Amino acid sequence: MGLDPASLRLDQQLLDFMDQLEMLEEKRQKLNTLIEEGWFNISKARYSMGNKQVSALQYASEMEPLVHVYASQSEKGEAEFKCERINGKAEELKESDTVETIGPAEGGLRRRVNVKKKENKDEKDTSKDQSEKEPQFNSKGEKSPCQHQDPLNWFGILVPQNLKQAQAAFKEVIALAAEISTLQSAIVKTRLEMQTQMKDKQKIVSELKE
Amino acid sequence: MTGRGKLIAVIGDEDTCTGFLLGGIGELNKNRKPNFLVVEKDTSITEIEETFKSFLARTDIGIILINQFIAEMIRHAIDAHMQSIPAVLEIPSKEHPYDASKDSILRRAKGMFSAEDFR
Repeated sequence: MGLDPASLRLDQQLLDFMDQLEMLEEKRQKLNTLIEEGWFNISKARYSMGNKQVSALQYASEMEPLVHVYASQSEKGEAEFKCERINGKAEELKESDTVETIGPAEGGLRRRVNVKKKENKDEKDTSKDQSEKEPQFNSKGEKSPCQHQDPLNWFGILVPQNLKQAQAAFKEVIALAAEISTLQSAIVKTRLEMQTQMKDKQKIVSELKE
Repeated sequence: MTGRGKLIAVIGDEDTCTGFLLGGIGELNKNRKPNFLVVEKDTSITEIEETFKSFLARTDIGIILINQFIAEMIRHAIDAHMQSIPAVLEIPSKEHPYDASKDSILRRAKGMFSAEDFR
């Protein structure tokens, strides 16, 4: 009598399990093609830049991650991974700001002919003020370039388009990797649940036989 | 989603590591320890295994990506890892395409449908 609901639950779980496996297969295929695309572009970039120009030797001595993964575990034991990228554009804008502010601070208008003494005094005062302000600018400017540097710059300033395409492909791969990890965790969890359900069902069957 | 996120680690050949580092996962921590290992011809299996175990032990790593042909070398260590965090993801390499039948997760899933389960 008690066999039907247990069997139904098991059937439903099996269907869910199959759906999860199908999704994993799809995402795996997408991941593989993206990785292949990335390698192909790296190889193209290496061909145009030179054999030793795209290798481990070019890695920076200081590295800061631009991607973080937030892992959370549910009560059932399922892990969920969410990929979060530090916004590169915002960082680039900050850096470009510092470059722009350096120009007017150093240059400005220069008076070359017959300057009055009073004005000289004024200039001295302003220059003092400027010199006081400048170190603050520099201290701010020094921090930004070393942190969150675009890895493309390790390989040169004017890198070929292929390397940028490779970067874009691998960025997608990273996001997909987090999704696949979540799915893998769900599959393992479903498998464990199904095993316990199967044992329960076997118990019921043996009880019914007796 | 509170606090600092975790890192993604890579164990792979040069091109795989280069690609993922281009993607922005690379980190050198305060002790100058990287979150990646470039496996070359002369890299020993013990070195790979030690690095893999050190990545498992690190609390700041959420996902470990590993080339499948390298995973084959340290299969016992990967099979022994049962926790969901860090997750271990096997990826293809340039010379070795991805084979689902070798993947630890899929092998575990496949193992469920053995003859014993249906008795």
